[in-house]
Amino acid sequence: MAGKTFAAIDVGSFEIEMKIFEISNKKGMKQIDDLRHRLDLGSETYETGKLSVQKVEELCKILKSFAQTMKTYRVDDYRAYGTSAIREMRGTQILIDQIEQRTGIHIDVLSNSEQRFLDYKSVASKTEEFHELTQDGAILDIGGDGVQLSLFEDGKLTATQNMRLGVLRLNEALSRLDAGSYRMEQIIEEIVMSQLDVFRKLYLKERKIRNLIVVDDYFSAICKQRTEPGLKAGYVRTKVFERFTGNMMAQSTNQVAEQLDIPEENARLLLISCCLLRHVVAMMDTQMIWAPGVTLCDGIVYEYADKNKLIRSEHDFEADILSSAMNIRRRYMGSRKRGETLEQITLTVFDSMKKVHGLGRRERLLLQLSAILHDCGKYISMINLAECSYNIVMSTEIIGLSHREREIIANVVKYNHMPFDYDALDESSSGLDRETELTIAKLTAILRIANGLDRSHKQKFKNVKTQLKEDRLEVIVETGEDITLEKGLFRARADFFEEIFAIRPVIRQKRIF
Amino acid sequence: MATVNFRNPEYYTNRELSWLMFDERILGEAKDAKVPLFERLKFLSITASNLDEFFMVRVASLKDMINAGYTKKDIAGMTAKEQLSAVTKVTHELVREQYNVYNKQFLSELKKHGLRIVARHEDLSEAQGMFVDRFFMENVYPVLTPMAVDSSRPFPLIRNKTLNLGALVRRKSGGDALEFATVQVPGVLSRVIEIPSEEEDQKTIIFLEEIIERNIDKLFLNYDIVAVSPFRIMRNADFSIDEDEAEDLLKEIEKQLKKRQRGEAIRLEIEDKMDKELLEVLQRELHLGEEEIYRIKGPLDLTVLMKVYGLGGFEALKEPSHEPAPVPEFSDGEDVFTVIRRGDVFLHHPYQSFLPVVNFIRQAAVDPEVLAIKQTLYRVSGNSPIIAALEQAAENGKQVTVLVELKARFDEEHNIIWARRLEQAGCHVIYGLVGLKTHCKITLVVRREEDGIRRYVHLGTGNYNDSTAKLYSDVGLMTCAEKIGEDATAVFNMLSGYSEPRNWNCLAMAPLWLKKRFLQLISRESEHAKQGLPAQIIAKMNSLCDPDIIEALYEASVSGVKIDLIVRGICCLKVGIPGVSEHISVRSIVGNFLEHARIFYFANDGQAEVYCASADWMPRNLDRRVELMFPLDDPEIRSAAIHILESQLKDNTKAHILQPKGTYEKVNRRGAESFTAQRYFVELSDKAAKDASPELTQSRVFLPEQAPQM
Repeated sequence: MAGKTFAAIDVGSFEIEMKIFEISNKKGMKQIDDLRHRLDLGSETYETGKLSVQKVEELCKILKSFAQTMKTYRVDDYRAYGTSAIREMRGTQILIDQIEQRTGIHIDVLSNSEQRFLDYKSVASKTEEFHELTQDGAILDIGGDGVQLSLFEDGKLTATQNMRLGVLRLNEALSRLDAGSYRMEQIIEEIVMSQLDVFRKLYLKERKIRNLIVVDDYFSAICKQRTEPGLKAGYVRTKVFERFTGNMMAQSTNQVAEQLDIPEENARLLLISCCLLRHVVAMMDTQMIWAPGVTLCDGIVYEYADKNKLIRSEHDFEADILSSAMNIRRRYMGSRKRGETLEQITLTVFDSMKKVHGLGRRERLLLQLSAILHDCGKYISMINLAECSYNIVMSTEIIGLSHREREIIANVVKYNHMPFDYDALDESSSGLDRETELTIAKLTAILRIANGLDRSHKQKFKNVKTQLKEDRLEVIVETGEDITLEKGLFRARADFFEEIFAIRPVIRQKRIF
Repeated sequence: MATVNFRNPEYYTNRELSWLMFDERILGEAKDAKVPLFERLKFLSITASNLDEFFMVRVASLKDMINAGYTKKDIAGMTAKEQLSAVTKVTHELVREQYNVYNKQFLSELKKHGLRIVARHEDLSEAQGMFVDRFFMENVYPVLTPMAVDSSRPFPLIRNKTLNLGALVRRKSGGDALEFATVQVPGVLSRVIEIPSEEEDQKTIIFLEEIIERNIDKLFLNYDIVAVSPFRIMRNADFSIDEDEAEDLLKEIEKQLKKRQRGEAIRLEIEDKMDKELLEVLQRELHLGEEEIYRIKGPLDLTVLMKVYGLGGFEALKEPSHEPAPVPEFSDGEDVFTVIRRGDVFLHHPYQSFLPVVNFIRQAAVDPEVLAIKQTLYRVSGNSPIIAALEQAAENGKQVTVLVELKARFDEEHNIIWARRLEQAGCHVIYGLVGLKTHCKITLVVRREEDGIRRYVHLGTGNYNDSTAKLYSDVGLMTCAEKIGEDATAVFNMLSGYSEPRNWNCLAMAPLWLKKRFLQLISRESEHAKQGLPAQIIAKMNSLCDPDIIEALYEASVSGVKIDLIVRGICCLKVGIPGVSEHISVRSIVGNFLEHARIFYFANDGQAEVYCASADWMPRNLDRRVELMFPLDDPEIRSAAIHILESQLKDNTKAHILQPKGTYEKVNRRGAESFTAQRYFVELSDKAAKDASPELTQSRVFLPEQAPQM
């Protein structure tokens, strides 16, 4: 049989879900089963940082039955991801090992941005609509713990921000306040607006967003069942949405549950979701809402299929990553021109060294991102540039990068400005594995010489070419200007490069007049 | 227009009384001279066994309510006390009528046709007497356990539903004191004993209790027998509360647990000539009121007539036994999956064979491409081929999931045994759901094919029971439509404890969605009628007593929807109430086959929709059971189902029409040609099978059989 059977497992904060897919070139990804089990892990780990024995027991029981179902379908491969509940607990590794021993299922933990990226991919798996709506749109991804709001322009991601306004978190806050449902809307407004205001000032300014794509568990479910005449499933016009949710807000939780035929516990979370949505919609002056009803599992399979070349992906996710990196650079007042020069030089060096460094496409992207963000720290301090750059990269969400990748970029940027510290990067003190450490060293070496070539920030070099010869790398620069400064700096940086690659970089100037 | 309160109790019939009318309709079949004599015996026997169950479950329940001080009224506005007294009155009449039929019609007619039933042992000839006495000593005496009561021995436990002989005895060794003694008529022996006949071409039988009575002195050797007479009691047995009852009643009863008298006798049947003193003893010891005593002219427990039916011979007095016709779609001997892939298959049992369903599971068990089989089982036959196939499937490494409903009434022990068997074979057995009976009938086979996973589903209105499938009229659908397959997967996920799916494609499941769906479908017809569009509902089921549904039907009738209901049993809805139910007709079909299918037709402004379901329109089905309703989307199948409904509406021999005054009357044919739907279906299916079977031409070339396909 052509194609593969794949299982995607999401160990969420409130629910464990497994979707089984058939992936084939012809039909793409076809969901054939969907198992969900309610299990509130979040409340415990958010509160105590631990998971009780009973919860672990229950989790294992569910995963075991998932494993059984995978066997039934003769699944070829699977990915299981844990999200915030697992992420936020202490001793995650111990739990993961325990689960693997008992159920045979290995769980990987997603960082927030990885998780959001998968959610984002799940939306992107609906190729057509995604392409159309992101010309002028935003994605609001409502989770249990946080929400992620991402802006798009011309189909490219321009900004994304995580806010701690997840439904479970809001629900908890509300229950602490013991607020009656009629006051709920007002209280949520107070909590939400302070954060949304910041978002608006940072990213939105006066911009209006035409389309809003919603990823959540509650609104999407009811949206799917109520299609407006003339619209495709999952689409709602804002006016209808406002009227519908307005009516809903005026009712008690059990009335809503009764009316929509959903469990009462869901009704409350639905109300919170809708409340949040109303504020976002109002802030951006949205006209159309689309709830594709996708979940993390759809993202997991999309990523898997994409990575294993089982399907052809339409959307260029790397362009998203680059465009958001450039937006970050803009926020910290980096120079676009200088960045572009640096990018061009580093990539030229990287490409000519392929045989020597043995790194791949993804590392090339990381290097490019490092070049874009190389001096963002100077926004805070010109003296403490290294540390500040490191911290900015580490605490800014760049959607689409794994936690490890972010660490690589932050370190490359850092050691671009200060001596390489082998001890600090050692596995025992940094927690990074050997391969990551090596990648950091290699990328740093490349970024450094490139940076050295443009020390005066005057973009003296119009055109840089490189040639790899036996034991040296000739960097041929075309310029009519005096490059004494660059040559001097270059020699110092070349030592580190040689140390890493055993190749000496030398500058050859081709004068142009 | 003034709004009508459709919940007015006057617009409803009490369900117990309605049920009793159903039993009367069966009794009507027993009286019908046009029905072959032995079939009439069978119908009379059915009325008796039905009544037994009615006592044990429904009357017991009414007693529970009274004991618990439950005063809430039913939809017809009756308290439990009122219901019990009304029910008691009717049952006494019903029993009187049963024995009228037996004594006045059957005994003489049977004799005319060569079967003599010796009613009293006193009527035996000398030779016959010697025969039965020898029979007694050789076969009966060894298995009897006589029990006497005196001051040192307490009153013995008389078992529920058993037939017993009670006697008053006096010690031969003097004294005037009478003692009570009893012996159970052993259930291990057949109650019908054939004895030598006095005339040729005649069969003579006598019932076992008469033989024991004749020889009772041999059991109490030191006593004189003063009086002896058979009796039978029915107990408020140790059942859990009937699921039909309201939840608040359950709570009430739990609260009053101490007041509840489990195992108390609620009905005593005696021979009408029973000695007065003997009766007094029984009445005193069993704490029975006068109205709970049924004085009977004739043999107690008429279910014995089923045994009489089973006697050899008399074939001319029986309906020829029916052999279900082969299903045309499967006539080429192709494998089940190929046939289903070609198109949905609609099955109409017992006119059509149940074999394709059995083969479906058998083939799935051995097909190497089948990954999983999932099935719900409610009641299965004793030596079920389905169970055997499921066992085999598990042994072949298939993932087999079976939901076994242990709470199926009267079948619990039986079900546990084979559930264990399945588990031992490696099946994953789910022993029902907490608080819900799983009554839906669905099978899912997951198969891996060239172009990916394909799901084959069978959905039905009747149990996966190959024996009852020969007697119950049911329908079923076999399909591999993707949207049903997806829903079926979701059904089993829910039954395995997973969350409900994010949405359903086309199946509606009780207790969460089904009732709402029905109400929507009914009110859509109402809307259409109000807009002046043609609107019609035809619904066929076993019972109708859900107040929400009935209210919706009344509303629809008022809006102008034409509603034809085919309800076999209980119907709490009333017809012909001005301004409420003028457009509703109700008919009940009682025939050789037990009407069991549930089919629902909605005109839907020209886009007719037809559904089948495992559920009746009863609160227990819609609120307290897991049930499924499925659409018939294939136009041909839809017309076949509509044809079933139309044929039943045309029936003018076995149909009883509910009258505005609340009684049922047979159709007045007024000279029209008679039409019997069940007979028509037999002919229809036989013809279809014949048309489809490969032509056996008069060729001289032998046709070698192919190796059977596994």
